[in-house]
Amino acid sequence: MIDLLLILVTLVFAVQAFRAARLLSAALWLAGVSVLLAIFFFRLGAPQVAVIELSVGAGLVTVLFVFAISVAGDEPVALRSLLPWPLAAALALGAAALLGWLTLPLVGVEGALAERPLAELLWQQRGLDMLGQVVIIFCGVLGMLGLLAEAKAPLRQPVAAEVAARRERELEEMQQKALP
Amino acid sequence: MATWLMWMTIGVPWLGALLVWRLGDERPNAQHHAAAVFSLLAGGTALALLPFVGETAVSRIPVGGVFGDFTLVADGLGVFLAIVATVVGSLAVIFSGAYMHGAAQLGRYYALVLLFIGAMAGLVLAGGFLLLFFFWEITALCSYALISFHNDDPKAVSGGVKALIMTQVGGVGLLGLALLAYGYLSSYEINTFLAQAHTLPAAVLSIAAFGALAAAAAKSAQVPFQTWLPDAMEAPSPVSALIHAATMVNAGVYLLARLYPAFAAVPGWKTAVLTVGLLSALLAAFMALTAHDLKRALAYSTVSQLGYMVYAVGVGGVFASQFHLLSHAVFKALLFLSAGAVIHAVGTRDMRQMGGLGAMMPFVRAVFLAGALALAGLPLANGFFSKELVLEEGLHHGPLWAYVGMLLGAGLTALYTLRMVAMVFYGETAVTRRVHDASPRMQLPLGVLTFGSLTTWLLAGPFTRLLAQTLPYHALKEMTTLEMAVEILTAPATALALLVIGLGLSAWLLRHRLHRWQRPLHPLAQAAVQSFGFERINQQLTVGTKGAAAVLSRTQTGQLNWNVAAIVGALLLVLVVLSWIVGWLVG
Amino acid sequence: MTLLNIGLIGVLGLLGVGFYGLLTSRNLIKVIIALQILAKAAVLALLVAGNASGQIGLGQSVAITVIVADTIVAVIGMALAIQVRRQMHTLDVVELARLRG
Repeated sequence: MIDLLLILVTLVFAVQAFRAARLLSAALWLAGVSVLLAIFFFRLGAPQVAVIELSVGAGLVTVLFVFAISVAGDEPVALRSLLPWPLAAALALGAAALLGWLTLPLVGVEGALAERPLAELLWQQRGLDMLGQVVIIFCGVLGMLGLLAEAKAPLRQPVAAEVAARRERELEEMQQKALP
Repeated sequence: MATWLMWMTIGVPWLGALLVWRLGDERPNAQHHAAAVFSLLAGGTALALLPFVGETAVSRIPVGGVFGDFTLVADGLGVFLAIVATVVGSLAVIFSGAYMHGAAQLGRYYALVLLFIGAMAGLVLAGGFLLLFFFWEITALCSYALISFHNDDPKAVSGGVKALIMTQVGGVGLLGLALLAYGYLSSYEINTFLAQAHTLPAAVLSIAAFGALAAAAAKSAQVPFQTWLPDAMEAPSPVSALIHAATMVNAGVYLLARLYPAFAAVPGWKTAVLTVGLLSALLAAFMALTAHDLKRALAYSTVSQLGYMVYAVGVGGVFASQFHLLSHAVFKALLFLSAGAVIHAVGTRDMRQMGGLGAMMPFVRAVFLAGALALAGLPLANGFFSKELVLEEGLHHGPLWAYVGMLLGAGLTALYTLRMVAMVFYGETAVTRRVHDASPRMQLPLGVLTFGSLTTWLLAGPFTRLLAQTLPYHALKEMTTLEMAVEILTAPATALALLVIGLGLSAWLLRHRLHRWQRPLHPLAQAAVQSFGFERINQQLTVGTKGAAAVLSRTQTGQLNWNVAAIVGALLLVLVVLSWIVGWLVG
Repeated sequence: MTLLNIGLIGVLGLLGVGFYGLLTSRNLIKVIIALQILAKAAVLALLVAGNASGQIGLGQSVAITVIVADTIVAVIGMALAIQVRRQMHTLDVVELARLRG
């Protein structure tokens, strides 16, 4: 019963993350989703992932979101959706409902949890994935550098106008060089 | 030790690629030297592998149970091809030092060439299908990038794209083979596949077998995929030598030879292989006869000679095919590099604008003649022995119609080779500018290759031993060089072949008297110029691929929400189909 | 209602919400949040599957891979968002689509 409540509250938090008018509160609702999911992971018998979700999902990513929002500015988002919302809802609900029809309910499956230790699985069974993860983390570090990089002189006009202006400048310079 | 050497054979050229690229284009001399040093080092490590050859020389990198291990196996076939790739490749690199003198963007050029050489070494040393596929695709990528090296020339770019698309079509066959092998044997290991192929269901095995044939035909430019190779001629000449002799095209023949024991029993497979070889050999020979572009003629001759190798695999002569591959790698590299020297000097590739160059370029004429001797299959050159061996295997183990066809091909080869030599080096000259002979830096690799063209057949004995002792599934028998030479020289098939070759040669010499015969052959010549219609098919394939890409790119509006809607919609569609299937299964 | 069924309901709900968010969001950072929610659904699905098949260890090892990848996606996405905001003064994806050349 408590599990059901947990999941329902998680879903409410997820919906709130989109309904929130300000980005900052959206990020905080997302962190809430992470925390509640971490508890559920724990109950599923996956304590390691729960801890990682708690520290990475609820901690690191939220900090990053807050940082990014503070840099990029938290303008209230009141833009109207491009897609008519009934279509969007139909697509999303349809996909979820069909998946549910295919999978639910799980009857008579109650997993046993006796298993090999996670560390052994990670390093021996999935060595290639770990290698890939190292590469991905490296890319992430590069991405962070991009995040923290000082901005170049920002454009003063829309991009197309900026490019056109620069081309004109260059043309002028070339003509001046050619004249004398 | 063998482990280290194997990884070094791949790693050294790749390291060199990185280094040459980092050196920067401001120091062209340093780039030339560094590239030469690294390619020679790679050749050295590949040669140093020879004493360690054996199926037990395996390097295994565990990457987890899901994918199996990454393995490199230093058996005879792999090491032999790695040596061909690195040694012939290093000669092409040394030649580049003179040929590409003063060219722009040397860093890109050498980095790609070295990457190519390393990837080819990896391809032949790989012990598992997954790794093989990985290197296979790297060679495709490098060939594309090198063919379009002059990327301001639209012909070069379209040639490169064509090569890429063609070889990808074949790559799908290889991927299918790998996935089938993994699906049924839960292992990507090639040796496991060879040992247990007979346990696969017959239908699955034949899909795998024909997948391999498609992959090999695309990579080795065999019918019906042959047209990418002539278009690859837009590349700089050393690259042509590299693609045609040392690396790319050998991969297809290698794949067929490697997997022959698994597929030999598949009904129809051997016939299909030898038919592909026969058609390629004959059609390409006709096309070589009508080509006016020196490099194009050589490209067609490559297709034709590869046809001989494929044919040899089709009749079960794995050793003969590999032996011809060795000869071909040496003499074709020689021909391409000396053609490069000619083109470098004359400034055109059209043979009608050459002629009489022999007097001006005696060195190049001498080495080209040695290569031509081998290509035509005349005695004492390596091509003679290997081609006779292929034909003999065909006579004893293959159908007679195919043998007759190949014999005709040998005659045509002699004819177009002589035509090429005569048009370039003899007769009235059409060249107006001052022509210089090959520079010393070009002469070194040419000299080495000439020596090779005349002598590599002496290696036949050690070569059979190498293959016979390390390929447990191929059941090859050992021979000494002397036995082989005696067998070839005394066989009646040889006399027959020499007679046909002689007929081919005299057909050129007597061409003015034969012009009455030329008129009925005219439609054939026209068809040959049109590549017998294959050019159209391949062009449509390429154009179709590009057109589909253009149409599909129009659906990319850049509107994120709509793109996501399409994705979710597609998911919905898949789910509907799935539910329908589930409902059908339940109800 | 067993634990696994509840978990599956969670997966479906998160997928639905995530899809809806991705379909309707116009703000780049909201798009990243939607991606995060979808990835969380995937992680939950993996763990439910691991539990159901009695191989929770395997499920966990894959889930960790997903979390790593998904975090990096968020990081890169935000770096992009910041740079886009600096250069083009907007985070609206409809506005950004006009940059298409």
